[in-house]
Amino acid sequence: MSGPKDIHEYLAEFDDIPGTLVFTARRARQGYQMNQFAMSLMKPENRERWKADERAYLDEWAMSEEQKQAILDRDYNRCLELGGNIYFLAKVFSTDGKSFAQAVSTMSGMSFEDYQAMMIAGGRSPEGQRSIKEGR
Amino acid sequence: MARITAGVASSHIPALGVASDFDKTEDDYWRPAFAGYEWTKAWEREQKPDVVILVYNDHASAFDMRIIPTFAIGCAEEFQPADEGWGPREVPVVKGHPDLAWHIAQSCILDEFDMTIINEMEVDHGLTVPLSMMFGKPEAWPARVIPLAVNVVTYPPPSGNRCWALGEAIAKAVESYPEDLNVQIWGTGGMSHQLQGPRAGLINREWDNRFLDRLEGDTDELRHIPHIEYLRETGSEGIEMVMWLIMRGALGKRTRTLHRHYHVPASNTAVGHIVLEPA
Repeated sequence: MSGPKDIHEYLAEFDDIPGTLVFTARRARQGYQMNQFAMSLMKPENRERWKADERAYLDEWAMSEEQKQAILDRDYNRCLELGGNIYFLAKVFSTDGKSFAQAVSTMSGMSFEDYQAMMIAGGRSPEGQRSIKEGR
Repeated sequence: MARITAGVASSHIPALGVASDFDKTEDDYWRPAFAGYEWTKAWEREQKPDVVILVYNDHASAFDMRIIPTFAIGCAEEFQPADEGWGPREVPVVKGHPDLAWHIAQSCILDEFDMTIINEMEVDHGLTVPLSMMFGKPEAWPARVIPLAVNVVTYPPPSGNRCWALGEAIAKAVESYPEDLNVQIWGTGGMSHQLQGPRAGLINREWDNRFLDRLEGDTDELRHIPHIEYLRETGSEGIEMVMWLIMRGALGKRTRTLHRHYHVPASNTAVGHIVLEPA
């Protein structure tokens, strides 16, 4: 069996991964409204209303003020902390005309050019990025 | 009698679809990623599969947060390409095979896999990019497609072991279908990539290649890799590789590699591709 023996142990390990927020049930619940808002941008008519007045569009959703501000700021790391999921947030940056690579580079704290150069050179090495506790 | 003749695995990176749709596949950046699929395109033209069971994950397109099925099988007559925020891809409509799909669904449920049955669904890049990679840009897709959507977004996704076992149940279902059909099973997604947070851009060439190595032969080690290993070693989105194990499980005890390709990067992701047959 590759399944975990204990659900608490299984979930606790997720907090040991550097620079990563695993989309757990807790985050899915916290971010439900934010992710559903993002999902609504799949429809062209909603994209038009969103572009016309972002704040007014957000106010139609039962999101926290922090969540709304993180979306307005396009602060994707903050969105993830508040329960956002990248595939849902993708509707926001796609509507902005941004690619996955452009949006993802903003979360890594690198310029898009530096991020692209890192990817062309083979990507970010897993060395030291596997475990916070074990420093490996 | 229907039979599974081959298994194909491939990344389903959206940027590959964009490169294909806008004829950028000969650009310096994209050429090496696409070159590894030329062999497969020629091979598929000879193989002429009747049906492809295409294992993929929906990326907040057909399913939002309201409903999160672990394993969902598409039983519709056809599936339209989804609008993922920039308009639907201009690719042919995907024609299903409802009779075989329902047969597989029934057989798997009797085999104790509690499948979700989908009668209306749009399909996103997770499904249409592999079709472009394997079939190019035809007027109509040359095979019927049975979408099999797996939740790999909201934790916990199914275990690798469960995916492998589902593949075995699908093979059994296909073998009990009376019509003479050439069926392929494709596992898509991966390989290493992380699309979020400060660790974004993680790639693990060594781990990915060891994964490819172990798809061949009679080892079943891959079914025992726990989620935490995918997360640590292959980035937060590398977990998609559990979907390759449905394909591998469906090929039986032993496999032979016909073709293999690995390239870094395509956008944020390591491109992996392998063609296997039962041996």
